[in-house]
Amino acid sequence: MTQTATTQNGLAEKVSIRNLKFFYGQNLALKSINLPLYEKKVTAFIGPSGCGKSTLLRILNRMYDLYPKQHAEGEVLFDGGNILNPGQDLNLLRARIGMVFQKPTPFPMSIYDNIAFGVRLYENLGKAEMDARVESALTRAALWNEVKNKLTASGLSLSGGQQQRLCIARTIAVRPEVVLMDEPCSALDPISTAKIEELIDELTADYTIAIVTHNMQQAARVSDYTAFMYLGELIEFDETQKIFTAPSDKRTQDYITGRFG
Amino acid sequence: MSEHTVSRYDDELKDIARRIAEMGGMAERLVDHAVTALTRLDTTIANSVISDDKRLDLLQRECEEQAILIIARRQPMAMDLREVIGALRISNDLERIGDLAKNIAKRVIALDGQFQSKRFMTGVEHMAELSLAQLKDVLDAYALRDVKQAFEVWKRDAEIDQMYTSLFRELLTYMMEDPRNITFCTHLLFCAKNIERIGDHTTNIAETIQYAVTGELLPDERPKHDDSSITTVPYETT
Repeated sequence: MTQTATTQNGLAEKVSIRNLKFFYGQNLALKSINLPLYEKKVTAFIGPSGCGKSTLLRILNRMYDLYPKQHAEGEVLFDGGNILNPGQDLNLLRARIGMVFQKPTPFPMSIYDNIAFGVRLYENLGKAEMDARVESALTRAALWNEVKNKLTASGLSLSGGQQQRLCIARTIAVRPEVVLMDEPCSALDPISTAKIEELIDELTADYTIAIVTHNMQQAARVSDYTAFMYLGELIEFDETQKIFTAPSDKRTQDYITGRFG
Repeated sequence: MSEHTVSRYDDELKDIARRIAEMGGMAERLVDHAVTALTRLDTTIANSVISDDKRLDLLQRECEEQAILIIARRQPMAMDLREVIGALRISNDLERIGDLAKNIAKRVIALDGQFQSKRFMTGVEHMAELSLAQLKDVLDAYALRDVKQAFEVWKRDAEIDQMYTSLFRELLTYMMEDPRNITFCTHLLFCAKNIERIGDHTTNIAETIQYAVTGELLPDERPKHDDSSITTVPYETT
């Protein structure tokens, strides 16, 4: 179950999106998307509001299942299996494909428990092991030094930037393989943003990351691959370097240079 | 090309392109006048070239400041980024071309009152004509964003290189014929070298146009025919 397709550029496809369509009721929101997420690479999704990039991200861990009248067609292959299958274990899927949202969403509990809560759902760890897991997650999220002396304080007592890093720590504590980030920095100041971006760089050593961002410069800075979406279609997917210096499609060019609409 | 949502951005990009055009015209004029000063050995024209070059230097600094401001303010992407980087590079090349013209003018002044023979001048004149035509073509190519024309300029520089190599031989021969020719021919040789360097900056501009328009770089190696570095003329005792 862990085989991954290897493409001609020598990169393994951690997730392969094939002919993916998505419907909000009768409304077709994604029109036959084909796209890989390469293993241990950062893929950025850019495009104007309503282009379907967040929708696409939400499909990747079946977030849309929470809403009636929404459904997806096509395939999202993750380690060979189609995660859109009705039989897919959603809790397991969401442990393997974690998500960080636009606004920090700490649980109303202690900093320690914010991290431990998710881990307890999937693993039965002793106190020492759990302590180590919490510390390593907070360390990787570049938050440990700021909170190590107040682990029992409420997660809500942290600043916005710290809360977002707490949410990232919570996501990586369950050791997912893919991390989805939906505009993780849009509510943060530049310093917190820089810390998150530094963290994204660090995480690529172990994780496959997909990030939705409205900040073009951020996409250019943090990602290896960029997908430009418009009106529910994937217009262009290429190496980030190529997209931001010499994109192939005129619509991509117009969007990233600020000439749209 | 459609316009930016922020129209000030368009104004800034147009402004920088306008400055490059102005610099181009000025560099062309400086080279033309420097060569005229040389072929006529006219120190008045030479002096005007030297003072006019200051204006070109000033324009280059303004161009550079404008490019830096655009980068800081707009964080240009894709074609805009290439446009701004292109303007930066081209303004540098044009400024250097002005310096080389100025150096020719200075030598004209140094030659004033020296032993002079205008028959040595023919080769340099030919080179200068070609070099000026190349400069004009590349500036037209920039104005029209014409990649094909830029590429033609890029290829044609080999001719200037070849002329320079043969001129190098010719001038060495004159110097060996009569030591009184040495001062004149040495200055002339440097002038020829300057013109050859102007050709190199012209091909740089052609390369930049290619990059700014397409995002692709021309091959690393341009066909080179400047063999003067390995050229000697044997000393024959009679």
